[in-house]
Amino acid sequence: MADQYPTLLQCAVPATALKVLLWPAYRSTDFEVHRNWLAITHSLPLKEWYYEKTSEWTLDYPPFFAYFEWLLSQAAQFADRGMLEVKNLNYDSWQTVHFQRATVIVTELVLVYALYLFFKSSPPGSKKQAHAAALSILLSPGLLIIDHIHFQYNGFLYGILILSIVLARKPSGLLASGIVFAALLCLKHIYLYLAPAYFIYLLRAYCLGPRSIFTIRFANCIKLGAGIAVVAGLAFGPFVYYDQIPQVFSRLFPFSRGLCHAYWAPNVWALYSFSDRVLIYAAPYLKLPVNAEAVNSVTRGLVGDTSFAVLPNISPRMTFVMTLAAQIPALAKLFFRPTWDNFVATLTLCAYASFLFGWHVHEKAILLVIIPFSLLALKDRRHLGAFRPLAVSGHVSLFPLLFTAMEFPVKAVYTVVWLVVFLLAFDRLAPPSEKPRVFLLDRFSLLYISVAIPLLVYCSLVHQLVFGAKYEFLPLMFVSSYSAIGVVGSWVGFLVVFFTS
Amino acid sequence: MGPSPPTAYRSRKKRRPEQSTSNGTVILDSSKTQKPAFPLVAFFWPAKGTNTSQWITLPVILMFVFLFRWCTGMWPYSGFQKPPMHGDFEAQRHWMELTANLPVTHWYFHDLEWWGLDYPPLTAYHSWMLGRIGWLIEPEWFRLYLSRGTDDAGLKVFMRATVVVSEFLIYIPAAVLCVRQLARLHNINAWESSIALTALLMQPATILIDHGHFQYNTVMLGFTLAAIASMLAGRPLWSCVFFVGALGFKQMALFYALAVAAYLAGICFSPRLDVPRLLAIAIVTLASFAVLFLPLLIGTAYDTYRNVPLPSDATIPPLLSSLPWQTSEKAWYYPYLIQLAQAIHRIFPFSRGLFEDKVANLWCAIHTSGLHKLHNYDSALLSRAALGLTLASITPPCALLFFLPKKAMIPYAFAATAWGFFLCSYQVHEKNVLLPLLPMTLLLATDGGMKAATRAWVGFANLLACWTLFPLLVKDQLRIPYFVLTGLWAWFMGLPPLSFKAYTVSGEEGGLSIVSKVLHLGVYATMVAWHVVEAWVPPPNDKPDLWVVANVCLGAAGFGLCYLWCLWRLVEESGLLSGKGPAKRGGEISKKKQ
Repeated sequence: MADQYPTLLQCAVPATALKVLLWPAYRSTDFEVHRNWLAITHSLPLKEWYYEKTSEWTLDYPPFFAYFEWLLSQAAQFADRGMLEVKNLNYDSWQTVHFQRATVIVTELVLVYALYLFFKSSPPGSKKQAHAAALSILLSPGLLIIDHIHFQYNGFLYGILILSIVLARKPSGLLASGIVFAALLCLKHIYLYLAPAYFIYLLRAYCLGPRSIFTIRFANCIKLGAGIAVVAGLAFGPFVYYDQIPQVFSRLFPFSRGLCHAYWAPNVWALYSFSDRVLIYAAPYLKLPVNAEAVNSVTRGLVGDTSFAVLPNISPRMTFVMTLAAQIPALAKLFFRPTWDNFVATLTLCAYASFLFGWHVHEKAILLVIIPFSLLALKDRRHLGAFRPLAVSGHVSLFPLLFTAMEFPVKAVYTVVWLVVFLLAFDRLAPPSEKPRVFLLDRFSLLYISVAIPLLVYCSLVHQLVFGAKYEFLPLMFVSSYSAIGVVGSWVGFLVVFFTS
Repeated sequence: MGPSPPTAYRSRKKRRPEQSTSNGTVILDSSKTQKPAFPLVAFFWPAKGTNTSQWITLPVILMFVFLFRWCTGMWPYSGFQKPPMHGDFEAQRHWMELTANLPVTHWYFHDLEWWGLDYPPLTAYHSWMLGRIGWLIEPEWFRLYLSRGTDDAGLKVFMRATVVVSEFLIYIPAAVLCVRQLARLHNINAWESSIALTALLMQPATILIDHGHFQYNTVMLGFTLAAIASMLAGRPLWSCVFFVGALGFKQMALFYALAVAAYLAGICFSPRLDVPRLLAIAIVTLASFAVLFLPLLIGTAYDTYRNVPLPSDATIPPLLSSLPWQTSEKAWYYPYLIQLAQAIHRIFPFSRGLFEDKVANLWCAIHTSGLHKLHNYDSALLSRAALGLTLASITPPCALLFFLPKKAMIPYAFAATAWGFFLCSYQVHEKNVLLPLLPMTLLLATDGGMKAATRAWVGFANLLACWTLFPLLVKDQLRIPYFVLTGLWAWFMGLPPLSFKAYTVSGEEGGLSIVSKVLHLGVYATMVAWHVVEAWVPPPNDKPDLWVVANVCLGAAGFGLCYLWCLWRLVEESGLLSGKGPAKRGGEISKKKQ
């Protein structure tokens, strides 16, 4: 079997070069958030971590992430001690910037390693496909935009997620997979969205007998339970000791936030808001009551709290029920057919459900869908057909994160290169499917992809020329509605593929 | 990369199947499986032997090189927040400001002290156009006198964008065409020539100077490439037009001028005298120069008609007063004459020194190393010595090109001539090293160009050149982009200090001779050691420039080697030695050198 070129490491080299060149680029407040966490964990005792509030960017990630920041801060003191002062708000000496940017690049090696394991563990017949999928994740424009420009540590976190998924591939790795996932949850709790799939898969494939669901493998249950307990104990134990658990959880789960995040994530609520907007104008003709107060509040599209003028308002409980309802069919299928492919597909569907129906979803959470899906996209042409609109819409929906002139060409050109290279490569590599494809779906995805270009031109250029600073919510709304159609479309497509195969 | 090239290539493709590799991009390992010879090739591997169209690969390459250019532009530029004079960025901005605001007759007379316009007219027109566009976006960037030293973030984006756009309109199409012509000349498949194109476009020195330090060299280099491409395509008249464009943008294109002249004259005399062609070349060249100055003269006519006086501090250009005949100030042609004389006076400042700052050429190396202090000599004597030595160094390549005008010799002759100018001539900047580098890097796109020997020499010249630019880049706070881009290119091409593969090939198998290997590796080791010393050891108090001087001396020596290698390969290529066709072995500088 010949080696695959370019290898993962070979791709990592120019990617790293580009990421280093991006050090002086725009960075969001997340940069200051992480700097502040470095300072908190370095200069304060553990029991004050979740109480400290000098900066508005308080520590709101689980304890393992705090430990991770503490580790980084041990190195940070050699770069610039100034960044470790809690009072130094918005401190950004070049040493600080270079140090923090460098930590993102270095910790991303976890992702490279996890992808390498994924490639190694894939069956010989699909090495080429696995290689292409691994490269597409490594070079993902989503990670470039969010981690290396906007500033976060997703490369590291998704590396751990993929590690855990790859471990689950062999029966001998199931226990480790569960423990790694538990650790991941203690790093960033957004991965709770994926927890149902893990729960069902580990329950069925590890804790219950392979033949019958009525034989319970107690030894396995104890091992897994103990492993998770140790992880949870390591993470939350100290805070239990100091009796701070309510405080920690109030930081982790701030329920006071609104339905939509500051930028609209492309989910059903974006479509819902868009319809509401349209209905404001249509309401007089349809004789619908309009809530006059809400008319002004949604227009901005930039505020957290959203209320609707015509359509009924949405409560957190409703979103929770809808999310769960959307996940249950896939979970049921996984329970009865606990294969690794079904597990990854269910992970993807869980992520879809929580992204589409969740409360206060960030647009960044789309990676939660794209990355597990990438592992499956090359299974056959039907999977690829569902993946394609997601690849376009998911990345386009990240564009509003960067709004500065200097970064615009980077995000646009990088994403276009990625789409051209990987959609072509995937197209070449995806094996034909056993079942016939849905003709309409293919047409839909072609039409959908071709709309992206005029839309982006309008949002980034034409709108400003025509309206200036007025109606600034319009481009945002178009992008998120457009992306929402793509995400929903690919979700429907994937559901069809999953339940008919 | 793509084996379905445009129709013009189809016939060649049939003769030369995709699998046959001529150029050293593919090696066979012990088990006879094909492997990429260096990492850059690996990135083209998925397209190898498949039906990937040039319509896919070319845009992907261009977008890839764009990203590196644009991201380099995010770093500081020359003179960023460095009063009083700032740097090249301010110079270019100021030219836009003055051309956009002042009448044409004032352009070459305006305040010399604050970055007076001293480039040929095409730069002036280019600045005028960009200044006008910039004025539409934000007038505050280009207010006469008031905008000096502006460091607005939006201005930076605008200026960086102008460099990228100018490059993508001129340099990059010319590079694509030139590499295609070379591929046609040397029978190289489209896949391999795409690799060469990427290597050419990722040249670190060019990216660092234009997109980091801030200049528009690629416009001039692009016109030069277009001229070379026209020569290769057998269109000498177009090459005249393009080369006048290069000269008209930046006078430094004079480095190539004699090689261009030698080739164009050569093809008129051999294989037989071709008088109509000679006449046509002369007429087109003159006409191009006329067109070059025409907008300046039309502007002068308009200002004369409007009765716009010259600036109050304007003095009669010395060129005009030294004319052998008397000119009347009343004559109708006087305003035009004075403009031309002033433009030429500004473009060629004969009164400046032998070299500027610390540059890795012969004179600076001799002077600063303490071998010989040159300021004891009369400047007229020195300039005569420089002229004599330059002529001596460029005569061999130009004479060869004149008597044997073969297309395959063009890159070598251009490189040797430009090295000769760079090393020996008057008034050289460290940035001028881009001129000899360009034709030398083009060698990657020629026959055997990516085999170990040629790749090692081209890489040696490029990496050494970047290294001599390092002191300049440090001043611009571009240390990190320097390491990133230079390291990336060295890694792409499989060269030291990141890979020694090119040096493990023996001389018989198309590798370097042992002497070249020792010389190269010695220079690489010194460069790495120099970086370590420069970073950690402060220079002695009485010699604050010691590290820079060491850099200059090693650079000059290494460039001397490059000159000799180009000359040697040129002689081989000419077939003078073998008496038959061009010799096939490369990297045999050792015989000549020792």
